[in-house]
Amino acid sequence: MPTTVDDSLFSSLDPVALRGSECSCGATVFPALGSCPVCTGVDVTDVALPTDGIVWSWTTQHFEPKPPFRTDEFAPFSIGYVDLGPVIVEGWLLGRTEWVIGEPVRLVLTKAWTDGDTVVHTYAFEAAS
Amino acid sequence: MSEPIYIVGAARTTFGRFDGEDNDLAEEAVRGALADAGVTWSDIHFAVGGTNGETKPDNLVSRLGLTGLPFVTVKNGCATGGVALMTARNGLLAEGRDLACVVGYDNHARGAFNASPARYGIGDWYGQTGMMVTTSYFALKIQRYLHEHGIDPRTLGYASEKAFAYAADHPYAWRRKPVSVDEAMDADMINDPLTRFMFCSPDAGAVSLVLARGSRAFDLCDRPVRLASVELRGRRPGSFEVFSTWLSPGERTSPSIDAAKAAFDSAGIRPADVQVAQLQDTESGAEIIHLAETGLVEHGAQAEGYLNGDFLIDGRLPVNTDGGLLANGEPVGASGLRQVHEVVRQLQGRADGQQVPGGPSIGFTHVYGAPGISACTVLTTEGE
Ligand SMILES: [Zn+2]
Repeated sequence: MPTTVDDSLFSSLDPVALRGSECSCGATVFPALGSCPVCTGVDVTDVALPTDGIVWSWTTQHFEPKPPFRTDEFAPFSIGYVDLGPVIVEGWLLGRTEWVIGEPVRLVLTKAWTDGDTVVHTYAFEAAS
Repeated sequence: MSEPIYIVGAARTTFGRFDGEDNDLAEEAVRGALADAGVTWSDIHFAVGGTNGETKPDNLVSRLGLTGLPFVTVKNGCATGGVALMTARNGLLAEGRDLACVVGYDNHARGAFNASPARYGIGDWYGQTGMMVTTSYFALKIQRYLHEHGIDPRTLGYASEKAFAYAADHPYAWRRKPVSVDEAMDADMINDPLTRFMFCSPDAGAVSLVLARGSRAFDLCDRPVRLASVELRGRRPGSFEVFSTWLSPGERTSPSIDAAKAAFDSAGIRPADVQVAQLQDTESGAEIIHLAETGLVEHGAQAEGYLNGDFLIDGRLPVNTDGGLLANGEPVGASGLRQVHEVVRQLQGRADGQQVPGGPSIGFTHVYGAPGISACTVLTTEGE
């Protein structure tokens, strides 16, 4: 199994899916929580989030973030919020530094950094078309 | 109905880089505010201090005097000043207290704030993957906002130009060099769509106010400014806050919308009545968003407002007349009180450099910060 930045973010790695939690009130959050910040209840269950979505907002990180940011070699990278339907999730946008709000993307697993011989993976979104 | 609360003394330091101790800044501001009010530390019944640094505000008594007064400390991020003012107001509601002193200060090192995921209850992965960055949050928020409301991104440049133009003539501002719209738009990109000239920087500074209850205010001050309301609100579902791994789909809410509405309702004043305003402009986009979230301008009408000059000193609604955070930087604990200090000067007709003409009598201030809190005030010189 691939090594990840945090296994609790994922409901499965192959195929990759993010693990959120869904409340009886209908609210979905990511990462999974044991309670619901929307209705204050605790009747929540873990769910695999949809893997296809659209770009809700985006920016490109032009300067290297301070630690604890880790990277093998910094290059400007894009971050976005992706509307997955039940919830909007923040994550990397791979492959470009210019995006358009509304364009379709899909979830992938990608390298975050290398730790000795181990590649550490995180989730990201790439253009679906 | 409790007696009205007034601001009868106000002072601030010049903001910028500072080599001395944090307490030096705080003491300078407090002594200035006491002198402005014509009182001494021994006259003060209740004190509140706010800072996000390591010093303890309540230990300022070791310099100011061991009078035995209750001294409350607050630490609420960028909204610290607003929370400190509200706490001071509340302290004056107690029997037997007529005078309160509030002070906010900070002395930050150069560079963007470095947030720790654990402090926000988020896993280490969030910082390790480079998403725990305040500048990207602001960029993501304004990118979406510009899209939703069809606002020309060049409006960001107008907001920057206005801030530095105001600061050029302000006696206490930090960055006083004018920046044109083109310079702001063409500067190094930090996080799309925000360039280097669209962000404020952490720096050093202190602000202090003296508050008085009821008729005591008129004994002390020819033109006291009434704190008609001060309201604090937190986030509800649908708000878009810094360090959010997820957002709710659907209707957007904001603590700024809620705090502003509560402040206007409580004061019995309409947004359209405001004659001078201070808004949280951590970056240019924040000012654009907050113009509408506070009810001062319609969503989507901001660009036209900048182009018309509405927010300039002789415009319909002068905004951030001291250059705001963009030109003053952000000593976090002092920033919200700086806003009130500026509006007090404007309403008292003693704003050297950039005085709003026509004798404004209704002002408004708005602070906003992590993890999603906002405090707003309505300030007036009418009715007495
Ligand atoms: Zn719920």
